[in-house]
Amino acid sequence: MSKPESLSLLEVRDIRKVFIDEDFQTPVLKGVNFSLRRGEMVAMLGPSGSGKSTLLSILGTLMRPTSGSLRMLGSELTTLAERELSDFRNQQIGFIFQYHHLLPDFTALENVMFPHAGRLWRETRAGRERAAMLLERVGLSERMNYRATRLSGGQKQRVAIARALMNQPALVLADEPTGNLDRENADQAFALMQEIQRETGTTFLLSTHDRELAERCERRIVIQGGIVVDGAEPVTHRTDSTGGLRMIEGDVAVVIDHTRVPNSSDDRRRA
Amino acid sequence: MRFDLKVALRYLTANRLQSALLIGGVAIAVTVFTFNAALINGLAEFQIDRVVGSSAHVTIEPARIRPALAPALDGTERLVVSQVALQRREQIKQWRTVEQIIDTLPGVTGVSYNILGTGLLSRGEQTLPITFKGVEPARLGAIAPIDQNIVEGEARLGINDVLIGRKLATDLGLRIGQPVLITTDQGRTRTLTVRALYATGVDSLDARLAFVNLDSARVMFDLPEGLTEIEIKLADIYAARDVARQLADSTGLEATAWMDKNQRLREALEGQGSSGNIIKMFTLITIVVGVASALLLTTFRRRPEIGIMRSFGISQRFVLSVFMLQGALIGIIGSIVGCFLGWSFSTLLANIGAASGRRLPVDPALGQYDIALLLAAAASIAAALWPARAASRIDPVEAISQ
Repeated sequence: MSKPESLSLLEVRDIRKVFIDEDFQTPVLKGVNFSLRRGEMVAMLGPSGSGKSTLLSILGTLMRPTSGSLRMLGSELTTLAERELSDFRNQQIGFIFQYHHLLPDFTALENVMFPHAGRLWRETRAGRERAAMLLERVGLSERMNYRATRLSGGQKQRVAIARALMNQPALVLADEPTGNLDRENADQAFALMQEIQRETGTTFLLSTHDRELAERCERRIVIQGGIVVDGAEPVTHRTDSTGGLRMIEGDVAVVIDHTRVPNSSDDRRRA
Repeated sequence: MRFDLKVALRYLTANRLQSALLIGGVAIAVTVFTFNAALINGLAEFQIDRVVGSSAHVTIEPARIRPALAPALDGTERLVVSQVALQRREQIKQWRTVEQIIDTLPGVTGVSYNILGTGLLSRGEQTLPITFKGVEPARLGAIAPIDQNIVEGEARLGINDVLIGRKLATDLGLRIGQPVLITTDQGRTRTLTVRALYATGVDSLDARLAFVNLDSARVMFDLPEGLTEIEIKLADIYAARDVARQLADSTGLEATAWMDKNQRLREALEGQGSSGNIIKMFTLITIVVGVASALLLTTFRRRPEIGIMRSFGISQRFVLSVFMLQGALIGIIGSIVGCFLGWSFSTLLANIGAASGRRLPVDPALGQYDIALLLAAAASIAAALWPARAASRIDPVEAISQ
């Protein structure tokens, strides 16, 4: 591949994760390879138990892989110490979760500011202004001083999106961000993420079961049985992206259909 | 405001009932601590006051005559038999010099130059063994406030006068103006007139002691020049040991501080002190256990939130600090409230006691509030350490997937 270095955001090479529980060893990731380019919006698909959440935790530096390499923005993350990881996470990665969106005892504004104020150990005017701006961007400037518990599910998730963007991260990881929302709110949240991705050039990686949303992403990475089976690399040439994308979309649709039958995909691969 | 402090305060105010209970718990423990201190220290003060108020703070006595001994041979033991020389009276002959030394000492509030002796006091058929204390009339109240405790007669100590306690007077059926016959251990006899009766409330003074003029004592006890003791009162009773050491060094006489003369009192005070300390220790343990268990519960309840914080890169140190601050805030607020309650309670009891005439030995000023504040805050912070560490070590992945 001869794409310019500056376009590459994340290189995942042969990531393995084995959970050891007393005498049992459970390999969850069995050599994951893929890369993300700056500014992409990528969906990650795969059946439950395929290792999506584990992979997201590893990408978000919340969990260390058993082996493999994780290069982001030129740094090898697997060798960083806990404190450096925490700092890296704070600066470069935003998280959006399915449940537990917000800290319930804090207002929407405080929730959004938290990653910034927590790093500096104090609130700043600049942080407050940026948080207010982000809340305005997600359409919640009216609810700025509401406690998190007083917001609706969709509103909470929009606050969570704003919070993920607080420190201007290079990568936002979203684990089933719309899984807990109704159709209307899910669409709204997704559209918001898409708009922000386009405006800011932030890379989004969304794990989702929602095929409709996945199809609206630029690319789909498909994980099955602990490895990436499709969509590992970005489309190399923008010029013929339209044709390429369509073709890949077709492939994904087929794979997803296979995942509906438990284990059938694994059997197919072993065969 | 520091952001960790803001988060800690938010957590405390988010669960008002739990925080109120915690602060209340610390406050009660500190109340017990300070009230206990006010009581034990007040009681000690009261006991010391009773003893020290009517006795000398430093007593100077003649040096013991110790015979010089030849050094023992190596590996041998020696048996020494010594006999007190009966012919030589132990006395302070050079007391005028000692007087000059005492006059230069700072913090001396009273001095009495005495001759102590024993004798029999008879009236008619009745005879009682009594200690006689010969004092200069002007210094009658210098040590025990005899002059202020006269219940009958007048505080005058002429050459033929004797002052006795009311209890002794009752025992012998004596009244003011009556003559009594005194036979001293030196074999002298003398008739004195009862000039006044006093009642100090201290039994050893009221029943077994009689005051006579120093000049009559010289004759009665055959001590034309010397004294048997010099008593000193100090402004600061706790300086007594230093003053005694200084006097012993400069005069070569025996000088004893009140606390070394009153072994029983000291033991009693030490016993009270250590039982008080046990109570204080338990109050601190209560604080540690209460705060630690409550904060552990909080930590557990907030696991997902801590996981979320960690996921957006909040450092372990920040999480640690948030929980330590909660402990510190509970400790500081609780102990301030506790100090106030302890002081109020002690004051209330002291006032009730004063009003009813039976003074309770509680002294609100001796509640050791500074120590209570410091220890309770330290105990709370120490108690927070474990939960805070647990919180900072929460695995974010596990906590979020909870």
